[in-house]
Amino acid sequence: MEHENMKVQKRREYYLFSPWLRIFHWVMVDSIIVLFVTGILIGKPLEIMALEPTQTSLLMNWVRDIHFLAAYAFCAAFILRVYGFVTNKGDRLFPRFWKGRFYADTIDVALHYMLLKRFHRSYLRNPLARMSYAGLYVLVAIEVLTGFAMYYMTEPNGIGGTLFGWVNVWLGGEMMTHLVHHYTAWAIVLFTSGHLYMVTRAEFMEGESEVSSMFSGSKFLVHYPQDASEVDPSAEKS
Amino acid sequence: MEKRESLWEAYLRRGLSRRSFIKGCVALTSLMGLSTDMVSKVVEAAEKKPLPVVIWMHGHECTGCDEAFIRSASPLASDLVLSSIALEYDHLLSAACGEPFEHHLEETVKKYWGNYILAVEGAVSTTDNGVYCMSGGKPFVDTFQRVAKGAMAIVAYGTCAVSGGIQGAKPNPTGSSGVGHYIGTKPIVNVPGCPPIPEVMTGVVMHVALFGKLPPLDSENRPKQFFGNRIHDTCYRRPFFDAGMFADRYDDAGAKAGWCLYRLGCRGPETYASCGNLRWYQGMSYPIQSGAACIGCANNNFWDSGASFSERLPKYGPLGDVDTIGAGLAIASTAGVALHGAMSVMQKQKREAEEAESEGGAHK
Repeated sequence: MEHENMKVQKRREYYLFSPWLRIFHWVMVDSIIVLFVTGILIGKPLEIMALEPTQTSLLMNWVRDIHFLAAYAFCAAFILRVYGFVTNKGDRLFPRFWKGRFYADTIDVALHYMLLKRFHRSYLRNPLARMSYAGLYVLVAIEVLTGFAMYYMTEPNGIGGTLFGWVNVWLGGEMMTHLVHHYTAWAIVLFTSGHLYMVTRAEFMEGESEVSSMFSGSKFLVHYPQDASEVDPSAEKS
Repeated sequence: MEKRESLWEAYLRRGLSRRSFIKGCVALTSLMGLSTDMVSKVVEAAEKKPLPVVIWMHGHECTGCDEAFIRSASPLASDLVLSSIALEYDHLLSAACGEPFEHHLEETVKKYWGNYILAVEGAVSTTDNGVYCMSGGKPFVDTFQRVAKGAMAIVAYGTCAVSGGIQGAKPNPTGSSGVGHYIGTKPIVNVPGCPPIPEVMTGVVMHVALFGKLPPLDSENRPKQFFGNRIHDTCYRRPFFDAGMFADRYDDAGAKAGWCLYRLGCRGPETYASCGNLRWYQGMSYPIQSGAACIGCANNNFWDSGASFSERLPKYGPLGDVDTIGAGLAIASTAGVALHGAMSVMQKQKREAEEAESEGGAHK
């Protein structure tokens, strides 16, 4: 029986995201929230009133320890992301700059986002989203490098100090490392507001499981996607 | 080259006992930041090594480094200058002056070519052929480069010599820069600080003097034994930081009680120096102990670090610091996407209405 709120529609299921990528994604979400909040508290710490440090709960120390723990959790989860990248084609989200079609697709999506086109063609992972993810990875890499550069310099001659100490020299001093770390954190916040909006928008505009794909791993597309060949070798010709 | 005497021979000549010589060596060992099992090596070196010839030049600076140096207590600066090194030329400490003095520099350079240590304080000024810093009637930059060519090693004392100093702050009208760019491939020890700690200054030159080689250096050519730790990590006020007990103003109760100066822009977390452990003037005090936030005077470009000395973050006029700007941008972007969302919904409704109309038309 057909109701007006029901419709029968043919969709293709594309399995894209391996569990490794999805776990990494949600660990990243949690750790970035924790890192940002604790990071702001480290930059502008809360005031504790006491007569002696021994009579406090060492709050600043706690905040810093949580910050470091979240940072390690994030880096550990990235190993899963790399594993997913190696084993699963659908996890490979790097923008396809080396393919001619990528540029035409980018313009197509950009025109739609500027509300100049009613719709954009169907994509498994649209080119603008891919570019924003590449941008996020750059921001995160900056945070990791500058973060460890400050963290490990308690022991400049240790392994960590040797691996990351050059960042402080390269930036011209540790003060600059602090500033870059702090400013980049805000850039990640701006990415987040854009990202949250775009996935939600894709969900209500197209209804193709943009949001739930980060839980289930699959997208359900009505139209045949432009970039299907990336996960389906048999689609190369079509 | 004539035979120069060693530290032991200098002690003998002055009729000092073996006991006081050994005591001096023990003091030197700890002073140079070495472990106690190095004492025998220090004694050996002090017995055999001839006193090193040192040429001490002053460039574009305030001579504050020398003011610090002459207050070195262990060893006394006078002991170092008169009996531990052969100081042949020093703008500030020499009794001689004028033509004969400059002539002596030329003679020393010629005589000990390739074997002397060149200690330098102050930046080199390069604008207009270096006329803004003249020494002995010649631009300092020329004299320095000539003397540096024959040096065994160069010791750059003070932030001026290391990275240009306050006169190198924007817009840097005299073109001041650190000496590192004007020494070719000669080995250099950077001893930044404005000024450096007196005992650090004497310790570095004694290390080079006794062992004939540079102390272990970090990636910025600073001696590791004196610049291996951040002030923040060695600060006696660190427990207040860990507890979250901060002074907010220099006249509040926290400042009086000696709480952490982090919120007042203290640069301890970014600065590598021995202030926290060695301290100044026989461990008497250091800036933070006397109640002033560290300004990071051992950092490159500490005068242009972006934020004022009493702030942690640079401020951009009425916009505030990055936290206010970031929060503002976050709110603006949220409003932006909300607007874009509303427009997208309208666009979608219009599209669906048109599609329904055309479908409806087909059915009819």
